[in-house]
Amino acid sequence: MVAVALSIKTGRGNYRLNLAAPAERDPDGILLTLVLERADGIERVAFRCRIASELVTQDVDEETLLTRLSPWIEREFEMTRENALKTIRSERKMLELSFDASNRGPF
Amino acid sequence: MSLQLIRPDINLDFVGKRHFFVILSTAINIAAILLIVFKGLNYGVDFVGGSVVQVQFTNTTNADSIRRSLGGLDLGEITVQDFGSGGHSYLLRFEKVKNIAGLGPTLEAELAKTFGTNDVKVVRVESVGAKVGSDLRRRGFFAVIVATIFMGIFIAIQFRHVSWSFGTGAVIALIHDVLVVTGALVIAQLQFDLTTLAALLTVIGYSVHDTIIVSDRIREDASKRRREPIATIMNRAINETLSRTILTSGTAIMVLIALLIFGGPILRPSAFTLLVGFITGTYSSVYIAGPVVLFWEGRTKVGSLSSRAA
Repeated sequence: MVAVALSIKTGRGNYRLNLAAPAERDPDGILLTLVLERADGIERVAFRCRIASELVTQDVDEETLLTRLSPWIEREFEMTRENALKTIRSERKMLELSFDASNRGPF
Repeated sequence: MSLQLIRPDINLDFVGKRHFFVILSTAINIAAILLIVFKGLNYGVDFVGGSVVQVQFTNTTNADSIRRSLGGLDLGEITVQDFGSGGHSYLLRFEKVKNIAGLGPTLEAELAKTFGTNDVKVVRVESVGAKVGSDLRRRGFFAVIVATIFMGIFIAIQFRHVSWSFGTGAVIALIHDVLVVTGALVIAQLQFDLTTLAALLTVIGYSVHDTIIVSDRIREDASKRRREPIATIMNRAINETLSRTILTSGTAIMVLIALLIFGGPILRPSAFTLLVGFITGTYSSVYIAGPVVLFWEGRTKVGSLSSRAA
């Protein structure tokens, strides 16, 4: 599992984006479990990111994926954070963002 | 065919039983105050400060195992609560964490020793400082007081041509409702956080709404029946609005029962607050607000209310 944590600057202060679990790879794509954590540690939220196989190759490493995702999450930070928190609080499961041909996101 | 739950000519003696219900409500209110003072509300992190951590486990576990595995960390008192996923998701509450920074990774590393690195994930950490918590608590209390007083002033002004006592009745009814709901929250030990506070403020709004309906009918009837005693006018007004009261409160209560049962642990405290509050609010409009007006007006001569309403 990649230990790199990317820094994200947001209206709520500095956050770190890192992987919470090794990437799960299958023929349909790659599933990442990510954690957004405020630099001072007072907030942390996990969410998932499914990237369809048509957008990335199977051998792409986790650090590259994280680097590609980071600016997008920085831009969509409020929506991502709010949705991730709401999903965990009310549905007790992690939010899953899906990127495919119809919604390419940062890919 | 129209929906008719209550016969239009119904004449239940609500006002005649007011002494019993006033004594009952007073006793409940005293009990609620004692509960609030001596047992206290189960304040959420919003109001006392601390951290809430949500942890997900791949395999089923229990609260004791989690507590045991965190025993080596100096994290103060920990509350572990099953988050309704059949032992897969738990909420941990820490009231006094010395070092909040790094709490998530620290917990994850400690839990991983017992449950396995890939079988445990800290999926949420939310923290509120102790000072912010006490500040929010003070502001929340202030919001309830201000809402109650302003509702009373609003009703007093609206009904000033009939009697200023309607405002007093509304304020006393609202204080009654807030005390009953808060007392019920103490007994149930449900978490009192910002969402529950919002529900409590909603109860104030709902209760006053119900009081206005009854008071407005009293004003209307008082102008039509100038020679009737106030108690008779009041009892008739309550009976005339009874069908509407039962229908509107009943439908709202049905929704709240569904929310309480199926809403999950996050919505449970606010659904419970609203449910108890709506029932109490309906009751207080009949048995608290009315008797206060009656007590006030009872000192004046018969028909005085009617003549002012005209």
